[in-house]
Amino acid sequence: MLRRLLLGVAIAAGLSAPASAETVTILMEGVPDTEYIKTLVPEFTKQTGIDVNLEVVNYAEMHTKLVPQLVAGKGSYSALVVDFYWVGEFTKAGWLLPLDERIAADKFDTSVYIPKMMDLVGKVDGVTYMLPFYNYAMGLLYRKDLLADPKNQADFKAKYGKDLGVPKTWDEYLKQVEFFTKDGMHGVVNQGLRPDPIAMEWSNYLFANGGEYHDANWKATLNTEAGVKAVEQYATNIEKYGPLGAASFSFDEAFNVMAQGKSYSYITYNFFRAGIDDPSKSSVVGNVEIMAVPGPTPEQGGSLNGAWGWAIPKSSPNPDAAWTFLKWVESHDIAKKRALQGGSPTRTDVFDDPEVNAKYPYAQAMKQMLLTSHNFPVFTYTPQLVEVLGRELSLAVAKEKSPAEALAAVEAEMTELAKKDGKLQ
Amino acid sequence: MNQHLNIEAADRRFGWFMSAPALAMLLAVILFPVFWALFTSIHDYTLIAPNFDTFTGFANYVSALQDAEFRHSLRITAFFVFVVVLIEFVIGFGVALMLNSVERFKPIYYGILLCPLLMNPVIVGLIWRMFLHPSLGIVNYLLSVASIAPVNWLGSTKVAMWTIVMVDIWHQVSFMIVLLLAGLSALPKEPYEAARVDGAGTFKAFRHITLPLMWPVIIVTLLIRLIFAVKTYDLVYIMTRGGPGTATDLASYFIYRKAFVSLNVGEASAMAAILLMLILLLTSYLYRYMRTLT
Repeated sequence: MLRRLLLGVAIAAGLSAPASAETVTILMEGVPDTEYIKTLVPEFTKQTGIDVNLEVVNYAEMHTKLVPQLVAGKGSYSALVVDFYWVGEFTKAGWLLPLDERIAADKFDTSVYIPKMMDLVGKVDGVTYMLPFYNYAMGLLYRKDLLADPKNQADFKAKYGKDLGVPKTWDEYLKQVEFFTKDGMHGVVNQGLRPDPIAMEWSNYLFANGGEYHDANWKATLNTEAGVKAVEQYATNIEKYGPLGAASFSFDEAFNVMAQGKSYSYITYNFFRAGIDDPSKSSVVGNVEIMAVPGPTPEQGGSLNGAWGWAIPKSSPNPDAAWTFLKWVESHDIAKKRALQGGSPTRTDVFDDPEVNAKYPYAQAMKQMLLTSHNFPVFTYTPQLVEVLGRELSLAVAKEKSPAEALAAVEAEMTELAKKDGKLQ
Repeated sequence: MNQHLNIEAADRRFGWFMSAPALAMLLAVILFPVFWALFTSIHDYTLIAPNFDTFTGFANYVSALQDAEFRHSLRITAFFVFVVVLIEFVIGFGVALMLNSVERFKPIYYGILLCPLLMNPVIVGLIWRMFLHPSLGIVNYLLSVASIAPVNWLGSTKVAMWTIVMVDIWHQVSFMIVLLLAGLSALPKEPYEAARVDGAGTFKAFRHITLPLMWPVIIVTLLIRLIFAVKTYDLVYIMTRGGPGTATDLASYFIYRKAFVSLNVGEASAMAAILLMLILLLTSYLYRYMRTLT
């Protein structure tokens, strides 16, 4: 009896072993796109026989979990998702495997990606380390019902001598912010909390005024006319046209103000576009649309870009299986399936897919946002720059420093960091 | 005589033997990290290049003390600690005295008082952030019912620090109450009876019996609370991230960012050592003061 039982166990073990010969383990953030990937993974296992183990944690834990695994000779993660914040640090430390040879060998086409995406979470100094996964560029959420209201249109025309419509330039948008601040409504809600919320949101103001963080040689270009104007406009929006307390809002609090119908507009991450149509969170379902942040001219945009990329760490226990997974997950079919579930694409062929456009009419606005977006400086000390920027902007909003003083302080520290990183000579 | 000495030596050996595991544990989890931090503080150790190759002497200490932001954070930490410890003590002692004379339902009062203390500071911060939302929170709503203008709890540089102080008091005052109450209930009854026979009133009894007998307990309570208050980090992290501006940038949160955002563990260790030194000085002063009392 016992012998037969043991034999049975042995056979069962023998049979089941090849089926789970290989497992790809990936640490991921608990966001909607991760959930969509989860639903698609069984297809991959069926096709290749490779199991996929997605370890899902929240953002705050990711970096601290990743670094010890990356430093180790052999870590436990086969592949990674990398936030653009970390790209400089991870590549400088030499933790990521260059993918160019595998891309060439398998003829994987990276030209389908929006070029800004490849710049941000694809190539570093000419070497491809990542495949862009999903984007979280920032856009302008605005109340289309208020724009369409005939009374508003007449009042706006009387006041400014121009037609009220979807803003084509940044100046036009600022006028609308002023106009809609009336009868308990706010023209805008801002996310003024230190450090990321304020630094990321203000970046849109900088780009919208035609500014950039640095020139081609990494010389800081913040304390300029565009920079100072951006800080002044930001502080005015919080103080005059926004709700009380916006200087301490994180994005969830700011989003709630928008979702409660108390604000005309909100510059935020594109994934909130889906949230604003969720009746359990929002009282303005169907009344809000998203667009690229308008720039100084109708041809230019002011949106801040943001994205995650797939990478294989040097410490990966099974880089070949990891590459098989990356190839599959970033193939047109799977990227499209993810987009159809509500995911955020990075490939032009997915943005232009008829099915995707039929289901999500704002897909083209999202694509436009990426095409006209600007990148945040990516280098080893990106998180530190965000920290300094957050502090100084918050001081300027609190009127403890003038815009020029605050920007001069950011420039000084940014210059020091860029020198330390070898970007600036 | 000789035999007596032998027994004593054997006793001592046995004592060491018995406490060895605990001592080894303490060495591993307290002394080792402290020395590691001190060792790190005199090297150029960053998370980008985590090694002890470059000995820098006191350079990290010098640059820490030259950092105006760090000095600012030390100043506001001192302010925060002084205010919360003082207010919590006044409220705590008052409530403890009242509770001490209560005969019935004591466990119920204890239960209610202990509730905030049992909560994780992160949760306390999140709850209060919701309560204090300027337009959607319940606090400003209640104020508006009483026709009071809404308060910008966390978004104003003048108010934010006091908001953090208020939330900290809400969270930590029970700690004071419980400790002081334990001290009060352990006081002997006889001096009070003797005082009453001699005709002393409540105030006199408090001034001449309760206070002198309670001093050691008070000092220890203040000391523990003070050390904890210096380490306050979670509330600021959840509620303000040090803002608006730098109004609530407490030292512990500042040091954390130096290490994990700026990746400069060497200088962060130097800052932590400076903070440790300040706490040690204060503690040893209070400890000595307590010794002179007993």
